Amino acid sequence: MSGAAGLDVRWPIGGLFAVLGLILAGYGIATAGHMDLYARSLSINVNLWWGLVLLVFGAALLLGARAGRGRAGVKQALDTAEGRQTEAREHQLGLER
Amino acid sequence: MAAAPVVQLTPVDYAVMATYFIAVLGVGWGLRRVMRTSTDFFLSGRSLSPWITGLAFISANLGAQEVIGMGASGAKYGIATSHFYWVGAIPAMVFVGLFMMPFYYGSRARSVPEYLRLRFDEKTRTLNAASFAVMTIFSSGVSMYAMGKLMNLLLGWSFDLSIVVSACIVLAYVLLGGLTSAIYNEVLQFFLIVFGFAPLVGLGLVAVGGWQGLSTRLSEVATMRGLPPDAYTHAWTNLDSAAHNPVGVEWFGLVAGLGFVLSFGYWCTDFLVVQRAMAADSMTAARRTPLIAAVPKMLFPFLVILPGMIALALGSGGSGQGLVPAKLAADGTPLLDAAGRAVLDYDLATPMMLVHLFPSGLLGLGVTALLASFMSGMAGNVTAFNTVWTYDIYQSHIRRGASDAHYLWMGRIATVGGVFLALGAAYVAGAFNNIMDLLQLVFAFVNAPLFATFALGMFWRRSTGHGAFWGLLAGTLAAAVHHGLTLPAGTHVGVKGGYLGVVHTYPSELAQTFWTAIVAWVTCFLVTILVSLATAPRPAEELRGLVYSLTDRPADESLPWLRRPSTLAALVLVLTLALNLVFF
Repeated sequence: MSGAAGLDVRWPIGGLFAVLGLILAGYGIATAGHMDLYARSLSINVNLWWGLVLLVFGAALLLGARAGRGRAGVKQALDTAEGRQTEAREHQLGLER
Repeated sequence: MAAAPVVQLTPVDYAVMATYFIAVLGVGWGLRRVMRTSTDFFLSGRSLSPWITGLAFISANLGAQEVIGMGASGAKYGIATSHFYWVGAIPAMVFVGLFMMPFYYGSRARSVPEYLRLRFDEKTRTLNAASFAVMTIFSSGVSMYAMGKLMNLLLGWSFDLSIVVSACIVLAYVLLGGLTSAIYNEVLQFFLIVFGFAPLVGLGLVAVGGWQGLSTRLSEVATMRGLPPDAYTHAWTNLDSAAHNPVGVEWFGLVAGLGFVLSFGYWCTDFLVVQRAMAADSMTAARRTPLIAAVPKMLFPFLVILPGMIALALGSGGSGQGLVPAKLAADGTPLLDAAGRAVLDYDLATPMMLVHLFPSGLLGLGVTALLASFMSGMAGNVTAFNTVWTYDIYQSHIRRGASDAHYLWMGRIATVGGVFLALGAAYVAGAFNNIMDLLQLVFAFVNAPLFATFALGMFWRRSTGHGAFWGLLAGTLAAAVHHGLTLPAGTHVGVKGGYLGVVHTYPSELAQTFWTAIVAWVTCFLVTILVSLATAPRPAEELRGLVYSLTDRPADESLPWLRRPSTLAALVLVLTLALNLVFF
């Protein structure tokens, strides 16, 4: 999932969601039992539960990015059959820039 | 506005928001070193995986118009709003992926207007580029204005501060990392919007007693408004006559106007979305981009439309307006329509749901998701604008043959200029509401016939540049004339239509919009054919790679069948059909 940049998009997204998950779950734990706060959300401690969901999602992305480190590099057009075909056609048509 | 804000954010909400700001700026910072050529800046060096471009493809479109607007339509029209997805967007996305992407990507055009230059001529390209550039600036401005107003009303934030800060953040990450940065952040924003709104739908459904409870409550609202009881919860059943459904349109106008003309026109020709697919790393990836995007897209109605429907059903029974507040006149009294009922401010349906169901903490996430939707829409407009400006206007009319570094520099200037122009447009929108309505209308006229031009250009090799140019102009003119001769029920002559004399009255504004589009499309189609037949065709040799019959079919056979675009397309269509049947 890495682009030209060599920056795997899963790093920033995983990081963001992991931090958001920690903030929300932490706040959920700190406010557990505050009935008036959770009256809106039908007495469910949504901060805790949804925070955990975000944390799991973020952690999964980070682990995926770690596992894929180094493998997914930049793919040059000439590395794939299709890329070579496209380049050849462009050459033929004089469409190169 | 001095009115007290609806809700106060607490430090934990601001912590969530700050984390998001740091993340988007961090992405721009992390990508800052790879912008060496103009292709890097404008097309991400054509190097992204289809999963990334696919998510960016829908996220660029997932602006405020979508999140707030679809919630508003959900409250106004019920589940029939899903036609924008299941009749409109999905078939068009499948079409652009299977049939049109080979020309966009294969021709190596760097923008949609540039394809028109390759296929037709310079004047057709310039017409398209100029109207597109102006349109992106103004739609970004309208969206910014809406955000500033919403944040002011909901949270008591200063209007100026909200729009200037969000514009600066978008500017910073686009300048740093170009299209790659915009696309990466769109993927991030996509997930943020999904995770920000999913609990809203979940809690909302629990509060209202599930789909069953929602149907029961909405049937009361429907009866109150003189519609069949299932008018809000069935998408097709009441489309036999315009009077039986809240949309005010019958099935033919819907399928032809929305499904065919408007959706294909938008998804197949709008550079804002097509640019994302052009950034993909191969032809197959470019073709899979809209198809991958179609999968989450078909589930979006549950994410963005349901909150609006639930907003209408929740809250005090009897009034038939749920959580949706009434629109206020300038003197603070509720506006009433011709029948004496309060006019509802449907745009507040989804924001009111956030405030009603989210406690501090989650509320921060919900508000951040709203901000993310505004920003991804704005970034989408800005990146499309700077590309079209630089390649299709600056390079072809103002300064030809400069170095690539010069165009990269111009792209950066255009990014700054685009953001400032959009900020200006936001203030224009605030000062003269009618001018913006008028502009939106003009854009609708310009856009409606576009798909006829592209369809003929790609699939009929005899069509010529003169045909395309005059067809587009005639289609736009036809749209204006049709709009000028008709009026939606219950409105006054003016920006809503009828300025040339009222010949026909439509039951709703949407019905008028759909039929205007149909008229524009048919006119453009016919005029393009007639003028093309009367003008000299281009030699077949020049059209190779630009027209269907003169282009080699992409060789899908070399791929495992599961990864072929056609397999993915079939899967998407079957699932969409199933969704239509479930909510028939």
